[in-house]
Amino acid sequence: MTDDIAKTVRSFIGEHVQDGEPGDDHDIFATGSVSSLFAVQLVMWVERTFGIAVHPTDLDIENFRTVNHVVRFVESRRAAAAPA
Amino acid sequence: MHSYRLALDEPVAGAHLDELSRRVHYISEAIIGFRLVPGAGDGVEAVEVTTDHPVDAEALGKKLRYVVDTEVRPQLHTPPKVLWRSTADRTPHGDTFAGLLADGVVHEIGPGQVALGAPALAALDALDGLLRDIIREEFGAREYRYPTLLPVTALHRSGYLSSFPQHMMFAARLNGDVDTYRAFAEEVGARETVGDRVLHRCAPVDRCLPPTMCYHTFDQFAGATLPDENTVVTAKGGSFRHESRYHRTLERLSDFTIRETVFLGTADFVREARDRFRRRAVELVEQLGLAGRCEVASDPFFAGAATAAQVSSQRLLELKHELHLDVAPGDSISIGSFNLHEKHFGDAFGIKGPDGATVYSACVGFGLERFTYAVLCQYGWDVADWPAPLAERCATTPQPGKGKR
Repeated sequence: MTDDIAKTVRSFIGEHVQDGEPGDDHDIFATGSVSSLFAVQLVMWVERTFGIAVHPTDLDIENFRTVNHVVRFVESRRAAAAPA
Repeated sequence: MHSYRLALDEPVAGAHLDELSRRVHYISEAIIGFRLVPGAGDGVEAVEVTTDHPVDAEALGKKLRYVVDTEVRPQLHTPPKVLWRSTADRTPHGDTFAGLLADGVVHEIGPGQVALGAPALAALDALDGLLRDIIREEFGAREYRYPTLLPVTALHRSGYLSSFPQHMMFAARLNGDVDTYRAFAEEVGARETVGDRVLHRCAPVDRCLPPTMCYHTFDQFAGATLPDENTVVTAKGGSFRHESRYHRTLERLSDFTIRETVFLGTADFVREARDRFRRRAVELVEQLGLAGRCEVASDPFFAGAATAAQVSSQRLLELKHELHLDVAPGDSISIGSFNLHEKHFGDAFGIKGPDGATVYSACVGFGLERFTYAVLCQYGWDVADWPAPLAERCATTPQPGKGKR
């Protein structure tokens, strides 16, 4: 599951960075790989693609800085939503 | 006075309420006041507006709903984030401006225009001096004094015209032709007012009043390859923004003074410089014993296609921090902002570093009248009561009135 999520996230981010496909720990916002407007696009894409609600308290850029950060965020929200 | 209830398609709630409130007056100049009408739950279901004259409420409602649906509702619900809060226990009085007027410390010229006299003027210069000390010590900035008028092309290429059209103030002149001058001179000689007889005779509109100093700096370096990896420039000057409503105080002026410092260079440098300046500014505010806070903020983008995304990304990436000081019980104003621009202005103005790469930029600006006003609200205008770093610099200023808090 994690591999599938990572592949999907890597592919989406890779389509939007200006300097080639980034490593999974590459901070795309600190390095100018993307414009700031991509942050909003990424949040909305995560909601739409993985069917999870991004709440106001989730709107911390630390959840979206790298491929790995996004993957961890998606997994945590899916785990929280899963039936016990 | 007329009142209209403008219904929203769906309730607006949470962080969107502030964004709605800051836009209502820009919907139309006819609106002179408004109230958010709560619906069921915690949302707002309508805006009740007041106007001086009868208006087409249906058309006004349509404009409001369009702005809400395109600029407010699509914004991410980023929660407020405070970076620092002062421990100073100073409660400003709510009647400061009336006292300043009575003692002749300030004089109202018109909407959004206030003249400053002693000792407010001395405070403004002293506060600017304290900021310049930080700028010199920390950054060794090059200082310029720019002409007042800014080429319209500078704001055009920066994106300002499409992001903040509501603030624009153009500086027009009569078209250079003897027939124009003659017709104009004859007509104004026969009239008591001239406002509606001017604009159609003006050309070209190639100068405007600057909304802040940094556009002068970006224009100064347009197309340049900077010799140093990092460059810091500071300037103080008259800044102009048309606002939908003006407070009858020094809180929101159309014509005011900004001390602005621009950082050009690498991504790491501009971010570190922006944050270092913010820390030094907070230290200064603490040294002055002023009550306030620093928080994540966004610019008043309006009427552009990307408005919602611009506001949301600024907040999410914390590109803008604001320093607020208290001016009345429960009320504060932003006296300074600390902004990261990424490569936006480097790209827009074609500014490159010595390695040929587009520079990153940041800027830090202080509204000096606002800073001064916050000090007067918290300390009054008897110089003897001011905190030492300020009082020492204002020792020789004339002292009208008492201004005791």
